[in-house]
Amino acid sequence: MKKMLTLEVNGDVHELAVELDATLLRVLRDQIGLNGPKKGCDSGGCGCCTVHVDGKAVYSCVCYAHSFDGVKVTTAEGLSSGEELHPIQAAFVDAGAVQCGYCTCGMMMAAKQLLDECPRPDEEQIRHGISGNLCRCTGYAKIVDAVKLASERS
Amino acid sequence: MALYKLKEFHAPKNMQEAINILGKSQEAEILVLAGGTFLHGLEARGLLSDVEELVDIRKAGLDAIRDDDRGLLIGATVTFSQIQTLPSVQRTPWLAGLSDALAYPPVQIRNTATIGGCVSASCPFFDVPTALLALGATVMVKGGEAGERQLALPDFLAGLFVNSLEPGELVTAVAIPKCPGNGASAFIKLEGNANDLAIVNAAAYLSVDSQKTCTEAYVALGGGVAETAVLSDAARQILIGSKLDAATLQTASEAVTADISPMSDHRASAEYRGAVAKVIVRRTLERAIARLA
Repeated sequence: MKKMLTLEVNGDVHELAVELDATLLRVLRDQIGLNGPKKGCDSGGCGCCTVHVDGKAVYSCVCYAHSFDGVKVTTAEGLSSGEELHPIQAAFVDAGAVQCGYCTCGMMMAAKQLLDECPRPDEEQIRHGISGNLCRCTGYAKIVDAVKLASERS
Repeated sequence: MALYKLKEFHAPKNMQEAINILGKSQEAEILVLAGGTFLHGLEARGLLSDVEELVDIRKAGLDAIRDDDRGLLIGATVTFSQIQTLPSVQRTPWLAGLSDALAYPPVQIRNTATIGGCVSASCPFFDVPTALLALGATVMVKGGEAGERQLALPDFLAGLFVNSLEPGELVTAVAIPKCPGNGASAFIKLEGNANDLAIVNAAAYLSVDSQKTCTEAYVALGGGVAETAVLSDAARQILIGSKLDAATLQTASEAVTADISPMSDHRASAEYRGAVAKVIVRRTLERAIARLA
């Protein structure tokens, strides 16, 4: 069964007919066509589905889409302005903080939340800030470097 | 997620509307949703397959916070992140245990999970209910035949994923009474990784008089040490009246065994939980004592 839902995603307003039990992640990926937020554990544990809802990082895989009628959603695609990378994106590139890339969009959204609240985090604060996001490739060292770099540049 | 029988998704705009929906739908399988971060876990266990209606109460005006001489009254849909920003939670020793517990979940959960949801889930592996038990929290309930009632948290947590709500009722707020005098609390979680449920967790609240004699003590444990988070009366009896010396803390920590019946799962065996529970309780007591004025 479907019901109408309005979402503002990365500045664009979408009016969609959405299944009652659809998650926010499912709507973003399958109906709006964004593939930044990933389906990983699909149970609120790995963080690769992280998006911002009204400026706050959430796991989009455990949120029902209909809980968010009328909110503003930002995904990793919404960080950059046109071709120009957001400082966090540029820092992830420059620090080489990407291997397979599956966690990257979620990591950047967690990093954004951290830097919004705490512009100059120390390493412990960075590690705590990304503790809701798993990476199975990098061992986190370069991701921590990237967040530090983004913080120093801003 | 797949809720095959779901027919309605309500988003009431005020509390009365929410209560009306719950009252009208008593024949249907209806579930109240706040942050909703644990519903997926319940669904995976097959516990939501009959749900026909969801009631999302986040816009129902249950997000007020009262912070005064009587203590804290936190609306059901207040998120963990919002509680963390309260000056009293950040600064006062008697609420420090709540602050400890709120710091463990990752930011995505803190931004979504609510105080009403975390008690209603009645999940023995959660952290915040353990901290709330040690602080003597009360659950405020509205709707149903009673209209309005208050339940002490130990009475509210009825069993594994089962709370004491009657049909038509919902949690509107959680109250934490102000602790008089020189009191402090603490919470510690033993976890396998930074984003897992607790193997064992413990919370303690202690108060002392001017002679540093313990006048009140609450020791709570969670993380699969029983079907719900529990208070240890055995530990409490040993601590009250003592000078909170190392030997007393050790005896009190060992006494918690009488009040728990740990379970085995993929995280830990019952035997391991029983053994580490004593250690975590002792460390939690030490942490609370260090915060006393």
